[in-house]
Amino acid sequence: MIIIPAIDILGGKVVRLTKGEFKTAKIYSASPLAVAKKFEQEGAKMLHIVDLDAARTGKPVNQDIILRIRREIKIPVQVGGGIRSLKLARTYLKRGIERVVLGTLALSNPKLVKSLIDEFGKDRIVVAIEIKNDTIAIKGWQEVIEKKYLDFAKELKELGVLEILFTDVNKDGTMSKPNFQAIQKLVDMGFNVVASGGVASSSSIKKLKSQGIYGAIIGKALYEGRLSLKDLIEPRSNLTKRIISCLDVMNGRVVKGVAFQKLKDAGDPVELATEYSEQGADELVFLDIMASKENRETLFDLISKVARNVFIPFTVGGGIKNIEEIRKLLKLGADKISLNSAAILNPRLITQAAKAFGQQCVVVAIDAKKVKNKFKVFLKGGSEETPLEAVAWAKEAEKRGAGEILLTSMENDGKKSGYNLELLKNVSEAVNIPVIASGGAGSLEDIKSAFIQGKADAALIASLFHYKQIKISEVKEYLLKNNIPARL
Amino acid sequence: MKIAIINYGAGNLQSVANALRTLGRSFEIVDDPKKLSAFDKVILPGVGAAGSAMEKLKQSGFADVLPKLKIPVLGICLGLQLFADYSEEDDTKCLSIITGKVKRFRTTLKVPQMGWNKVELIKASKLAAGIPNGSYFYFVHSYYLETDFRYIIGKTDYDVTFPTIIQRKNFYATQFHPEKSGKWGMKILSNFCEL
Repeated sequence: MIIIPAIDILGGKVVRLTKGEFKTAKIYSASPLAVAKKFEQEGAKMLHIVDLDAARTGKPVNQDIILRIRREIKIPVQVGGGIRSLKLARTYLKRGIERVVLGTLALSNPKLVKSLIDEFGKDRIVVAIEIKNDTIAIKGWQEVIEKKYLDFAKELKELGVLEILFTDVNKDGTMSKPNFQAIQKLVDMGFNVVASGGVASSSSIKKLKSQGIYGAIIGKALYEGRLSLKDLIEPRSNLTKRIISCLDVMNGRVVKGVAFQKLKDAGDPVELATEYSEQGADELVFLDIMASKENRETLFDLISKVARNVFIPFTVGGGIKNIEEIRKLLKLGADKISLNSAAILNPRLITQAAKAFGQQCVVVAIDAKKVKNKFKVFLKGGSEETPLEAVAWAKEAEKRGAGEILLTSMENDGKKSGYNLELLKNVSEAVNIPVIASGGAGSLEDIKSAFIQGKADAALIASLFHYKQIKISEVKEYLLKNNIPARL
Repeated sequence: MKIAIINYGAGNLQSVANALRTLGRSFEIVDDPKKLSAFDKVILPGVGAAGSAMEKLKQSGFADVLPKLKIPVLGICLGLQLFADYSEEDDTKCLSIITGKVKRFRTTLKVPQMGWNKVELIKASKLAAGIPNGSYFYFVHSYYLETDFRYIIGKTDYDVTFPTIIQRKNFYATQFHPEKSGKWGMKILSNFCEL
């Protein structure tokens, strides 16, 4: 979610209104340009500029100031307020304004919205849904019309609109809380939503972020010093969320079961690994689910073959008990090893492995299930309950040198009904090392939720890919469409 | 043509070796600096900590030989960091092949940085020939290099912007793991082999 500072211009000055009433205007600066530059310098990734004079009169009174800001700063600018003609919208878009926000125009002349989308693309045409008590407000919020906002949203959907700017007029400038319910409804309809009105506290921002919206506009809270832009802007990074293909192996074959049982053959490991790598998997995990002694040589042989054929990182896990096995697997070409039962029974093994081979190659796998309202850690492929709780154990593992946590919800595993987001979020927020979500991916939405609500860094996917229900590229495209960084 | 992969006890030699094998290049894992004269390229791979890595390079004698080499040398990950003057990791004096020091990430983002990040190319180099600008590469590291602008070929954002492909004369290095970065990683390795 991006944080978008608002600059509302009235009579050439930067002002804030309360609940859209012009008589409440409070002046914060005589220079919109100076304010824009300050926001840019503080790390804003986009600005939202409103021509309040135009909103009221329909005439682009502050157009020159806005275009001057556009020329003098580097970040994208979104402009709204009084864009009621095709001509004005085109002028802005052609002169480098990234996105125009259409309000009244979208209501009175939907065809024009459609033609703008055709000419400039979905991403640059934002339609404002501004509501006062569930009905639509127009003309600088001075009038309301008898149309329910959800009906309007449905019409916009049919028109091909993707970007929505949502404002609850009664919340705007009140520094209370955004209208989360209404925002959620629009997100659920598949819109890219920018929320505005009442975004004034870090808890509201957190909540909006978990709703999976595109951006949040902040106005008065910034001008009044209640929130600091510097604290809100996320660090700049293009690190992508990883999609990891998981291959459970047994006797040299890939298998897949439901809730750790009922195993089915899913193919040849080297073949599948090569295929996934070519399809764009970011990483691979091989779990030896039998891990018996006689089986071990088969695994070593398999890992060596994979390492010779696949040039993306891969992790090996399943029954690894001691430092010698770890050394052997890494030497054969594995990038990381994953410890599960052995780490619980002998936590010093984590430290030992991290010291010998580096933190980055030690993954601690945690199998957890809710027992009496607590997420308990299970041993031996999920067959034995331990006294450990998932969050505490994850923190302990981190302290001991784990470089990553592979977190499986046993109840959700193989059921394709979604990851356990509660478990995932609790663990992700408790540690400062990456967390891989595992167990339950059944749809694209599930994967998105693992990243947004679950705060995971990577998602492990097995059956969805083995049975070719979803292609890896489809997942990546979907994530990108939802503003989640992914490598295509 | 033969490539030496320096063995100084740090892991992932096998991955680099596997990649070179796939590219059809002949190579040898070398643990004695005296043998380097038989090679025309050197790779300094790297996984592990700066302190113990430098210790081993000193003991084996590579620390004296490496900075004087005139043949193309490629440092990977920790290998890149060891090219610097100094690393905050274990308070280590490094090889001083490239001016600069290595710092730990101080960020609210997760450390180590683990995964695929974008490399923005800012200068042409034979090492990065044919690589589309903005391609993704695989990173695993907690420290990054700070160096003079003139050595930077490619850079990456992880809260800070830091160099991820560097070159000074015959010394090349990448912060990411080309041997684990799929197609474009292989392209970098093959470019190095062609130098």
